[in-house]
Amino acid sequence: MTASPRSDANAAPLRHLLDSGRLIVCVGPGGVGKTTTSAAVGLRAAMAGRKTIVMTIDPARRLANSLGLDDLTNDPQQIDLSDALNLTGNEDHGGELWAMMLDSEKTFNDLVDRLAPDKGALKRAKENNIFRLLSSALHGMQEYMALEKLHDLYTGGYFDLVILDTPPTKNALEFLETPGRASTFFDERIIKWFLPNRKSGLLGRVFNPGSIVLGLISKVLGESFVNDLVEFFDTFHYLQETLQQRGELIEFILRDPLTHFFIITSADPRRIKEAVYFHEKLGQLEQQADFFIINRVIPRFHPEDIAAIEDTDLDALLREADHEASADRISGLRQRLETHYLQLARLAIRDREAIASLATKVGHEALRLIPLLGEDVHNLTHLLKLSDFITPLAPDARVATAKG
Amino acid sequence: MFDVAHCADVASLSLLFLARSARIFLTMLDPLLDKRLIFVTGKGGVGKSTVTAALGKALAARGKRTLVLETDTFSAMEDLYGYEGTGLEPVKLSETLYASNLMAEDCFVATLTRFVPGERVARAVINNRVARVFFKAAPSVNEVTILDQIRVFYEAEDQGKPRYDHIVVDLPASGHAVTFLNVPATMNGMMRGIGPIAKMTAQVSTIINDPKQTAIAAVCLPEEMPVNETIELASNLKSVLGRPLTLAIANMVHRAPLHDDDRPIFDALLARVRANAPGTSSLLFDEEPTDESDALARLVEGNALALGWHDRDQRYLGELRSRVDAPVIELPIFYETSGDDVVANVARQLGGDSSSLDHPLAI
Repeated sequence: MTASPRSDANAAPLRHLLDSGRLIVCVGPGGVGKTTTSAAVGLRAAMAGRKTIVMTIDPARRLANSLGLDDLTNDPQQIDLSDALNLTGNEDHGGELWAMMLDSEKTFNDLVDRLAPDKGALKRAKENNIFRLLSSALHGMQEYMALEKLHDLYTGGYFDLVILDTPPTKNALEFLETPGRASTFFDERIIKWFLPNRKSGLLGRVFNPGSIVLGLISKVLGESFVNDLVEFFDTFHYLQETLQQRGELIEFILRDPLTHFFIITSADPRRIKEAVYFHEKLGQLEQQADFFIINRVIPRFHPEDIAAIEDTDLDALLREADHEASADRISGLRQRLETHYLQLARLAIRDREAIASLATKVGHEALRLIPLLGEDVHNLTHLLKLSDFITPLAPDARVATAKG
Repeated sequence: MFDVAHCADVASLSLLFLARSARIFLTMLDPLLDKRLIFVTGKGGVGKSTVTAALGKALAARGKRTLVLETDTFSAMEDLYGYEGTGLEPVKLSETLYASNLMAEDCFVATLTRFVPGERVARAVINNRVARVFFKAAPSVNEVTILDQIRVFYEAEDQGKPRYDHIVVDLPASGHAVTFLNVPATMNGMMRGIGPIAKMTAQVSTIINDPKQTAIAAVCLPEEMPVNETIELASNLKSVLGRPLTLAIANMVHRAPLHDDDRPIFDALLARVRANAPGTSSLLFDEEPTDESDALARLVEGNALALGWHDRDQRYLGELRSRVDAPVIELPIFYETSGDDVVANVARQLGGDSSSLDHPLAI
């Protein structure tokens, strides 16, 4: 186990995934810097020469900040890599880094525009009450639309590698389960219950074999809502087939041997527990995590250092800094520094114990550690530093900044 | 030599806390004491569930009957409170503390049972495969039925008095919170206000949008993105729900390792150590065993790092205070491993006086 790029047996397999993979799905709990870590992974792949796009569906705008952009949009934006190449003294291998943030509403509208059979259908769709609210406000659209966008990026042919940053916890699991869910929603059998029967108009619909259910739903949800619903299903009939095909294709993509899963977590015991949960959940979905990237590990402080320090030595050093200071003040400051260091050392040990417990479940070779650095990641230099802990560029071209 | 036992005596400090909380202080809880319904949200990973658990515990400790609810999630409360959930019915954890994880499926059955004539009919719908699949796949049905269940607890009475003084709800992450809370209004719009469900959604959204009886608290970390998200949340609450954020809770704030007055001394010490032992700060990131002679340099560099974390935290908190029109309270990092200890500590912080922020266990 190492947080440093120095002695690094696990770096090579990870680098191999970046060189050959087509899709890397990053899952993990929130608040561990998952989006930033995904960007760091993307940066490393791009610097190695791959045309890479990082897509985040997390509503937070962290990715834009860490890439030095003001904002991310639904359209991919290219990140200038020249600074990164200069800083590391690396050659340009022809790689590109792009980033985007999913805008569910816009993606949905684009999809409808593209698939609508005629202008009339488009107009009807846009006037439908349910469509209007569905496209802007409702839960679940994000996951459907992420798949839609993923499908575009993956099959578009431009990008070598798509890095997909998923929403934390529950949503991420939904995301993985969505292919099935989306096709269920548009399940043909269900639609038949609601679709207008050609022979008999509205009445026929109410008194068709689904009438009891439909009647009950009307009773509960209100007549006008049900009418809108019927119209919605009618109008969106043409979406059903496409979405179903997409769902199947996405399931196929997720099972491709060139698709990899990274679980990104921190060393906090509760987060490690969540990481294990993801690991097990992936197992249930017949997938497995290739790597666990543990972010923000407290640096290796040693509680025994306190015993190794002579109080008189430290007092003398402090006194040199301020000859006027009273003995009480000096010893008070020394005690505070020692107390604080000891607490940090305990946190550091707690982190390593949690990491060791994860290692017993998934193996040391699947772990990568990134320490909690002294500064926030909000520019390319910081991102380079992170990516150097994920996998060093090459044995002879270490990132200069990581040595500071 | 430094006495390790000195700062590790958790038990005696806990007693100290108990003694303190028995006295009456102006507490961090004040903005929430007159709120019957308290929604807690926050960006994923900021300790939202821990703070929710602590809030529930602190309110219950004041003798208020408090119900802590989760919304169809991988339950954190079961771990934090150490209990096992059993469906919708709240589990009694103490004289005044109750908890339940509202699973969408159970809420759906409960809501439907309330809205169709007779349970037999409800069962017929629930057992109908087509209806089941439809409701499961249709967006926002989960949210509406969960919020309706919260309304039922909110309105529940025993002998003419509300059954619960406070209901604390652990909401989804802040990116989804406004959407979640706005689902009743959205649904109402979809139904054009017609039908029994539409009436129910109108009631629910009235409760949510009333800042007098309902609080929305945002938990965040003193970091760039969580702070930005809290600012964004406050503004979205205003624009979408037309109500303010009640309280911002900054969690896991790094304590300063030293007093401000002593900074010049520390800075001089740091400069000297760096001159003598240049590579130490990068050695901290090395997992390999290190030389004992570097101990002092590591102590100083470690504290320098901690001071940096503290200063950074305070910058973000300053930003938060200046841009959110709600009180901001701070909770320090605790290093205890078990979730239970952390909840107890945070609960004491919330319910106790602010001087306990100087507590030596907090970093």
